[in-house]
Amino acid sequence: MTDPKSDKKDEVLQGTLDMLILKAVSLGPLHGYGVLLRIQQISGDELVIQQGSLYPALYRLEHQGAIASEWGESENNRRAKYYRLTAPGRKRLEQETDRWNRMAGIIGSILRATT
Amino acid sequence: MGVRAFCLRAGAQVRSWLRAATRRNRLEWDMEAELANHLECMTADLARAGVPPGEAARRARIALGSPALRKEQMRASLGLRWGDEIAADVRYAWRMLVKSPGFSAIAVGSLALGIGANTAIFTVAQHMLLDRLSVPHPEQLRMFYWSEPGDGVVQEMWGFFDNPPGGGEVSTSFSYPVYQQMRRDNRSLADVMAFKPYDRMTITIHGETAPADVEMVSGNYYSVLALRPQLGRGIEEADDRAVGSGPVVTISDRLWTNRFGRSPDVIGKTIFVNAQPMTIIGVNPPGFTGAYSAQGTPDIFLPFSMQPIVAPQNMDPSWPASLLENKPLWWVLVMGRVRPDVPVAKAEAALNVTLNAAVRATMTVKNDNQAPRLMLRDGSRGQNPSLEELEKPVAVLMALAGLVLLLACANLANLLLARAGGRRREMGVRLAMGAGRSRILRQVMTESLLLSVLGGAAGLVLAFAVRNAIPRLLSDAWAPPAFSARFSWPIFAFAAAVSILTGLVFGLAPAWHSTRVQVSSSLKDSGQTVTQRRRGLAGKAIVVVQVALSMLLVVGAGLFVRTLMQLGRAPLGFQSHHLLLFSVDLPETRYPKAASTPLLRQMEEQLGAVPGVKSATLTQVPLIAGNVMNMTFIPQGEQRKPDGNPSVLANHVGMQFFNTFGIPMVAGRAFDTRDTPVSRKVAVVSESVVKKYFAHVNPIGRTFQVGWNHPQTFEIIGVCGDAKYYRVRKEIEPTVYTPYWQESEGVHQATFAVSSGLEAAALLPSLRDTVRRIDPNLLLLDVRTQDEQIAANLRQERIFASLTSGFGVLALVLACVGIYGIMAYSVTQRTSEIGIRMALGARPQSVRRMVLREASWMVVIGVLLGLGAALALARTIAAMLYGLKPWDPATFLLSSALLILAALGASWIPARRAAGVEPMLALRHE
Repeated sequence: MTDPKSDKKDEVLQGTLDMLILKAVSLGPLHGYGVLLRIQQISGDELVIQQGSLYPALYRLEHQGAIASEWGESENNRRAKYYRLTAPGRKRLEQETDRWNRMAGIIGSILRATT
Repeated sequence: MGVRAFCLRAGAQVRSWLRAATRRNRLEWDMEAELANHLECMTADLARAGVPPGEAARRARIALGSPALRKEQMRASLGLRWGDEIAADVRYAWRMLVKSPGFSAIAVGSLALGIGANTAIFTVAQHMLLDRLSVPHPEQLRMFYWSEPGDGVVQEMWGFFDNPPGGGEVSTSFSYPVYQQMRRDNRSLADVMAFKPYDRMTITIHGETAPADVEMVSGNYYSVLALRPQLGRGIEEADDRAVGSGPVVTISDRLWTNRFGRSPDVIGKTIFVNAQPMTIIGVNPPGFTGAYSAQGTPDIFLPFSMQPIVAPQNMDPSWPASLLENKPLWWVLVMGRVRPDVPVAKAEAALNVTLNAAVRATMTVKNDNQAPRLMLRDGSRGQNPSLEELEKPVAVLMALAGLVLLLACANLANLLLARAGGRRREMGVRLAMGAGRSRILRQVMTESLLLSVLGGAAGLVLAFAVRNAIPRLLSDAWAPPAFSARFSWPIFAFAAAVSILTGLVFGLAPAWHSTRVQVSSSLKDSGQTVTQRRRGLAGKAIVVVQVALSMLLVVGAGLFVRTLMQLGRAPLGFQSHHLLLFSVDLPETRYPKAASTPLLRQMEEQLGAVPGVKSATLTQVPLIAGNVMNMTFIPQGEQRKPDGNPSVLANHVGMQFFNTFGIPMVAGRAFDTRDTPVSRKVAVVSESVVKKYFAHVNPIGRTFQVGWNHPQTFEIIGVCGDAKYYRVRKEIEPTVYTPYWQESEGVHQATFAVSSGLEAAALLPSLRDTVRRIDPNLLLLDVRTQDEQIAANLRQERIFASLTSGFGVLALVLACVGIYGIMAYSVTQRTSEIGIRMALGARPQSVRRMVLREASWMVVIGVLLGLGAALALARTIAAMLYGLKPWDPATFLLSSALLILAALGASWIPARRAAGVEPMLALRHE
């Protein structure tokens, strides 16, 4: 599991956490801890998410209407708050993905430049 | 982000914020549960990976971090932080206020006094100056005014008139025939109606008689005002056709409540108005004040068609019996409603032509510029007679109350500044720990706003408590208050706006001051205070301003109090003590023309014979009551001049007038039984008449002529001492007294003055019995003593003296608080300096002197500034003063002395404290 002292893994870039959360819940409703696991799992345990910033981010996204939440039963029969993507959230995820790809391409080409 | 997306997002945010803010408990519970759930899941995962349970839980907690911090961040994500911070600020501010109760009490108290005074004055001002007639769309109403040159055609007037500075006359009164013609020919206003606030009439309801205020109205009054009675119908055209066609009245809500218990059966009931039967047809809505003013209280409304029957007036034998046919007398008020399609200027021009034609049709106009010129003025407040009279006094009071508020605000600013100084360390620590400047600014502002809002609330309570004091001051002592102050939204808005503005404006500087702390220097235990003296400069400037403002207010109070004293001391020329007055009204419906004379004679004689009464007399015009009668006066040997002769004051009086009022006879004799209704007409003149018209001859036996239409000749039989007539403020004017029983048209409204050593309350029952025996239907109206009458005449002066004295005392207290505060603060700041001085050999007296010297500088500068401002103020209110110059030396010297003494008294306590500083303690304090 995540070890806070480990410094071999990459930390999430500033400003990309929202995008990652949207992506995680786009694959199906998740509770907070599930979002954390899903991101780590997709990244192949390469990415560390500061757990502290997860919940404020979830609340911010819900506040902005990108995700919605409701209470439900978790896999171990406990009540948990599940987040799912809303229609505006899906649109935003698409936009942010496009922008990220474009940015990554541009920055990559700059960094690849040799002269 | 597109517009649509933005809107969606903004909508979601508002919804989410509202949900979070309104269901706070639920939110807290959710966050708690969610974080707990997270920890549990993670602990379970770690345990499954082989970590011992205790260690697993510990690691999970470390990974998540402080739950309190997380929750704070989650709340911030929902936009709740802002509100939470304000709530925290208010809580903190409250704690600070409670911690220093003295400081808070002074700040809140002074603001409460300042805001309370302003709100109380504003309540009256808004009522007097801003209230409109309670009819639909009062702003569409236009009041008809006219102006004419000094030799204009209108000579006989009953109603309001004014002499503008340019000469000539301005009035609102028209003759009834002119009104009728203007209404007939009007094309430019929606309609034109007429009304007249008539003299008091006697009404009899269920056999019980009482006086009532009457408004006489035209048949279209209700339709032009768009007034709908709450019960029954209004007066209609059919009621106002021929004389006597409408024996009907509508009554006020107040009369309906007081006399009929709000019974709906009142419609169709018969009441007697001046002994004439009239049928009640409607009840006006509550709040309707008649068309004359928004403060009026007419009880009954009747059509003009009833004037000759209910209230016949025979003022002049050459006039027709009916006022409705009277062409020379101008007496009815005219009002119209504008038409949306005709501009007012155009309507005015058109109606001016109409007026001109109507005047020419009813009167003789010798040349064109003699004719009155019509003016349409705002009628939304009726004629609003109180406006002209009260505008300036109310403005002066508002200004003075504003100064008091300014003083209170200066105090607040000063206290906050001193406090900011005392909290430098606290601010330094907060800044050092990472608090933002704006955050600290906001918090300090919250404190000052809290203070000012508390002060405002207390001020509002204060104003509410005294809300009826000013209306009572404005009314006669023997009558109910002319109006009651209503508390309405504008007043709340006013108080709220004043308090919030105060808090913002006067809290900003101290707040700014607190945030400009240098973190490093404020954290050092301030060794520099020994030499730091500049810091108090802002505070001292404020104190100087406070002293100057108080000087202004104290001088103002002094001037008004001295004016009242001078008026109280002014010789009246008659003795006013132990005189009981009451008025009677003999309607001509029962006592036509001179038929009233024998009855009045009988009353005079029998009242004089009541046990305990020394003498009793009739006086047609009561003295010092603001009413006056005057006549053109042509002494024997002079000719009637075409441009008018000078006039003198006149009064019709009874046989015992001169000894009842103690006016000495200087020559000749007073009236006696030799003067009968049929003997030659006689008069007693005052000494100033002799001085002015008979300077070098013996006046006794000489004659003079009075009157315009029907000149009458009087023979002078006596000369009496000069006496004031209608106002204490007015200089003595030449006055002519004639016996009322020689008046061929009779006297119908009169006042009796009874001189007696008995108390009014003890005497009154036997006076009532006497009058009832003579005529059971006569009412004793306006029972008051002559001294009360004089006090009422000085009402405005008394209001000014008492209110400004209150303001002056308030100002003095506030200035003393300010001086005490700044000196106490300065002594605390300089404790170590004083300690060093004393350690080096300064004696306590010299330390005390040093502190007092510092205070005196501020006071002297403040007093000098205040003197200058007070001189300017006194010049503007010179017209309101009496018997003293605006630069009255006594007032200015006394005020300065008072202020300097009070200020030195206030700084005495800090000075003594400074002198008592223990050098060792003060130095160790570092």
